Amino acid sequence: MDCMGIIFSNIYDSSMGALTAFRTSASIPFGGRYRQIDFILSNLSNSGIRDIGIITKYNYQSLMDHLGTCEEWDLKLGDGVRFLPPYATGHTGAYRGKLEALQTALPVLERNRNKYVVLADTTVLCSIDFTEVVEQHEASGCDVTVVSRRGIADGVTVQPVALKLDADGKVVDLAMDYAAPKDYAVGMSMFIMSREKLIEIIHELVPHGKYHFERDFLLGYYNDHKISVNVYQFHNVALFNENVVQYYNNSMALLDGSVRHSLFRGDISIYTKVRDAVPTRFGMRGQAADCVIADGCHINGYAAHSVLFREVVIEKEAQVRDCIVMQGCRIGKGAKLRYVILDKNVVIEPGVELLGSPGHPEVIGKNAKISKGAYNR
Amino acid sequence: MHFQKKRCVAMLLAGGQGSRLMVLTENTAKPAVPFGGKYRIIDFPLSNCVNSKIDTVGILTQYEPLELNEYIGNGQPWDLNSSHGGVQVLPPYAKNKNSEWYKGTANAIYQNIPFIDRYNPDNVLILSGDHIYKMDYAKMIRFHDQNGSDCTIAVREVPLADAPRFGIMNTREDGSIYEFEEKPKQPKSTNASMGIYVFKWSVLKKYLEMDEADPKSENDFGKNVIPAILKDGYRLMAYRFEGYWKDVGTIDSLWQANMDLLGDKPVFDISDVSDGRIRARNTAMPSSYIAPTAEVKDSFVAEGCEVFGSIQHSVLSTGCAVGKGAEIMDSVIMPNVVVENGAFIRSAIIAEGCHIKAGARIGGSGTGAARKITVIGKEQTVSEGAVVEAGTIR
Repeated sequence: MDCMGIIFSNIYDSSMGALTAFRTSASIPFGGRYRQIDFILSNLSNSGIRDIGIITKYNYQSLMDHLGTCEEWDLKLGDGVRFLPPYATGHTGAYRGKLEALQTALPVLERNRNKYVVLADTTVLCSIDFTEVVEQHEASGCDVTVVSRRGIADGVTVQPVALKLDADGKVVDLAMDYAAPKDYAVGMSMFIMSREKLIEIIHELVPHGKYHFERDFLLGYYNDHKISVNVYQFHNVALFNENVVQYYNNSMALLDGSVRHSLFRGDISIYTKVRDAVPTRFGMRGQAADCVIADGCHINGYAAHSVLFREVVIEKEAQVRDCIVMQGCRIGKGAKLRYVILDKNVVIEPGVELLGSPGHPEVIGKNAKISKGAYNR
Repeated sequence: MHFQKKRCVAMLLAGGQGSRLMVLTENTAKPAVPFGGKYRIIDFPLSNCVNSKIDTVGILTQYEPLELNEYIGNGQPWDLNSSHGGVQVLPPYAKNKNSEWYKGTANAIYQNIPFIDRYNPDNVLILSGDHIYKMDYAKMIRFHDQNGSDCTIAVREVPLADAPRFGIMNTREDGSIYEFEEKPKQPKSTNASMGIYVFKWSVLKKYLEMDEADPKSENDFGKNVIPAILKDGYRLMAYRFEGYWKDVGTIDSLWQANMDLLGDKPVFDISDVSDGRIRARNTAMPSSYIAPTAEVKDSFVAEGCEVFGSIQHSVLSTGCAVGKGAEIMDSVIMPNVVVENGAFIRSAIIAEGCHIKAGARIGGSGTGAARKITVIGKEQTVSEGAVVEAGTIR
């Protein structure tokens, strides 16, 4: 396809708490076996977009480990896929916004020969066909297309980008950081525009201290009537993981078959790093009810309404309810967990009881070891 | 063309027709038969090679090679995609004057002498594509080198009563072999050959050429080549292997090997990674979903499954769906099988892509010696409410 992709890997890092202490939001584990970036990367690859720049800021070691040579996504690191860390030339360094980050990507953008660019975050999870989006963008004749979803805005939650459309789907209002009413469509942090236009606005805005893509370019230029904005309306499941509570709720949403099947369609695959785990083994007294379970687990206790990642061990008489348990965790005999998110390789010793709440799930950081009586908060 | 010398090249005999596996190998080469939820039989010898640091593997195949070829691909899942060596599928190919099928195990290697010669190896490891086991071949090769052996044969202890079914190695105190008996009626020992051999390449090459020149030979390692090498006074050693090993060449043994993975202390603990992981070509399937109505006990469940029914003491492979009220017991469900609501499956092997419709009943309740394994071949539909008797193979 005549299109390249730019992925921003660090958006919402600051609102994900312990989950981004050692990783980018792109590499936050999701859905038992995935990292958040798997969704956008698979969508781009499945749409035939092979030239992809991944903009990173900090903590990107785990992301690089995860992506390896990108062959699992049918992409090639170095030949198409490129990491774009911040330039560290004296006064520059970590950037403040997407536009400034894109300045790092200028050489890549200028060398590329594709007509269009998809700009996307990793925190909105969905299964989307960009060929359709780009075709619609082209047909609209507009400068920018914003991919958006109706039915998300609730009048309470602050939306980074919200759009009001008229009956013909034309944009009549564009707002930022707005507790948009229900009739607004919400931006999915995916934008399509021509590569040349993008290069032009980077040159125009960044030297004037403007670094925020949505505020300084999209909203600013829209208000000044300098650009026309088109909306692509996405109709399937889109999960927005912008903070820990949303992340928790969206993980639990996977227990709903309709959500699961919209995200993981039979005809389109979401790829991830292969790990040669054996199938999950259920013991004589193990039991699971309403759970999403990845490979390599040993279920000897009880798990209900939970998401279990690869190689989780639940020992006898342990109870795990309403939890997210990441790769390599071990829940000791008789331990009881409810509304808890365990990051990778956490060890819960026998008999430990942890209780969070649905509105405030307890997050236990990577590699922690929780002993009975030793955990106080 | 010559490449940099390799110390050892592995040749995997995957050409068997697998007729004893019947419907399971109708359109599938035996090594490509699914095993253990997410594997295929060939993953075991291939992973063993990689875990033993052998990076050059030739796979000899001639029956139904398509699926096997596609599965092996460029060898990337096993890290065997290197530019020097790696894995290569070697079907019989048409030569200048005559093209021929592999006439026997030894002939298959004979026809690929040029492949092996390119790497100029010290030793050649001969493997079989229908065994389930984990083995460090590097240890065996070290034993072979340290003992100055010309041919080392892996053996394992079998019960005396079973010995007449195997090739039996009679050894001296130092482990050297003085006699090889193929399926002896009166076995003198219980060291059964596992069909895993390490040969000095110079010796093997000479005997393959001699064997080919002999019109009366059956071109078989066990029947012809090894006895000839032994007769001429070369040094043959038996290498004792103690771990789990199963020839899965029959329906019963394939079923049993799958069952050996189960239990709180499995006979074959495949999840023990201390001796290396078994690698497989992974399909991009999401995690499995176990519904509130499901009951899963003492079973393997691979990824991409949706389970609403009951599964006991069974292996459920990648991408299967099990409906509400369905009951699966003591069975092997191969990849991408749909089992509809209320279906009942017991002591059965259901091959890839089958569709078992609502209320169908497959297999019987016999256990122990009375157990008869029922087999449903690839991509078959068992219609609603149909009854498939125990022991049926279709």
